Amino acid sequence: MWSRTVDFIKSLPLNARISIVVILIYSLAALWAEITAFGYKLRDETPAYNAVNVEQCYQPPLSRVAMPDGSTRIALMGTDNLGRDVFSRLLQGARLAFHVGIVTSLIAVPFGALLGLLAGYFGGRVDSICTWLAATVAAIPALLLILAVSLVVGKGLLGVYVGISVTTWVGIYRTVRAETLKHRGLGYVQAARTLGYGKVRIILRHILPNVLHVIIIAFSTRFPAAVGTEVFMGFLGIGVQNEPSWGVMINNARVRLWQGVWWEGTFVTLALFALVLSFNQLGDALRDRLDPSRAG
Amino acid sequence: MVEKGPKTQSSLPLLEVENLVVEYKGRPPKRAVNGVSFSVQTGQSVGIVGGSGCGKTTIAKTIVGLQTPLSGRILFEGHDLFSKDDKNRNNSYREIQMVFQDTLGALNPRMRIGSVLAEVLKFHRRKEFTDKAQINIKVLELLDMVELTPDLATRFPHEISGGQRQRVGIARALAVKPRLLIADEPVSALDVAVQAQMLKMLHRLLERTGLTMIFIAHDLAVVRNLCDHAIVMDSGIIVEQGDPRELFSNPAAEFTRALVAAVPDVSRSLEAFKGPDKSDQCRR
Repeated sequence: MWSRTVDFIKSLPLNARISIVVILIYSLAALWAEITAFGYKLRDETPAYNAVNVEQCYQPPLSRVAMPDGSTRIALMGTDNLGRDVFSRLLQGARLAFHVGIVTSLIAVPFGALLGLLAGYFGGRVDSICTWLAATVAAIPALLLILAVSLVVGKGLLGVYVGISVTTWVGIYRTVRAETLKHRGLGYVQAARTLGYGKVRIILRHILPNVLHVIIIAFSTRFPAAVGTEVFMGFLGIGVQNEPSWGVMINNARVRLWQGVWWEGTFVTLALFALVLSFNQLGDALRDRLDPSRAG
Repeated sequence: MVEKGPKTQSSLPLLEVENLVVEYKGRPPKRAVNGVSFSVQTGQSVGIVGGSGCGKTTIAKTIVGLQTPLSGRILFEGHDLFSKDDKNRNNSYREIQMVFQDTLGALNPRMRIGSVLAEVLKFHRRKEFTDKAQINIKVLELLDMVELTPDLATRFPHEISGGQRQRVGIARALAVKPRLLIADEPVSALDVAVQAQMLKMLHRLLERTGLTMIFIAHDLAVVRNLCDHAIVMDSGIIVEQGDPRELFSNPAAEFTRALVAAVPDVSRSLEAFKGPDKSDQCRR
């Protein structure tokens, strides 16, 4: 299993392998941010990335910053309008981006895949109902839905989670349904039916492994899209509250950008750019490798 | 091993197809099988022969339950396979197994050969094979039955040849211990040399196990030596049936005559083809 995974990664083109490394670095950063944030919460302290230090506001990158307790620290990416360290806020932003990406994927991907498998395998009325549901949801603009949800449940991550999950499963549903439809007619599924296997076994043991590549590809494109939406929601101020989302940071940086305070906006944008680019590169490479219709 | 069944001709046929009509949806609907009746006795091997699109595969699919008939009945040991209140229906399906024409498509591309066979055993014969070791032994036994080597168990379907895949397909069908095996053009996708091996293997298998078989082919010559009874079909109906050797040497129906004439005489065509002229090669 391990050696096959390693062989597979080695066989990918260079840009995809670089993307994997970048995504791994981001994951570790997000994990690190998760641990530190949890530590602050446990000790019931104001987290360092939220600690206001107004005397040291707008310090450029790599400057030495005096902390309130008398010690000094190097601010790698400078400080923002309240003197908070941009780099540690950036890491926390990665944490929130991964939260949204992972949670929405965990909801949307299994849901879309399951409905797609059912609709594709059973056809008929099941298919009609699922496709009707997908078409109805697809007609709702995602941003408006998120706005509506946050009006009901209040500003915060919950609205973002729900809004993104509810709108993104449709794309996964469509691709999985089409792929399942193709496989249902193939000999091995007919053979499984002749052998008397149950429907659940045929769908999960026989069809699912053969359409898994579609789900993996869908995941690799859904994830950056979800991150982008989260940032946008943060920017508009209806996303996460009192936490350094990348969107919140970009909105913050906007105010003094014309006065030459370039660092916060630049670093956050670059971080977002590199993450989304890596996921897209990896998704493309996976599609080329795993999708049989594109092979050759 | 499949136990050797008695080759007696009991009064009740194993399978009885009565006035079967099957249509495919469409505008207008396509009638693939139009009122076909025949019966198969226990231990018999019946060949169904006909050109492409004559409905022979549709009959096979209907018998195994992949297709629903428009009208008519299929009785397996007297039980109607399509009556809704018959509780034996599911059991009957398990006793009828099918071998498919497309050898690659019929095997799950993500499953090793060994797991394909093991899954059948785990699913259908859980009481007989309780632990892994027993299943592994039985898998090797099944591979041996279709004259395959044990090392194939760890391969994926795309890693073995078409002939080997077809043998796996037969082994998978036999793993259920069926009473009736339907082979849908099992040799059509294979080259001539492998065809011959496969037919010999099937012949030995039938002799050894006394299995009842319906063998579907588009070629009367294939059926001639393998089957006790042959049915010739054309556009959804039976045009002629009887002893295959008799049909071959003395065809009554026009269509059967055409089928016999279409069988290539290998020895004659080999004589005609003597290879490229040597003088031709020199000139090049």
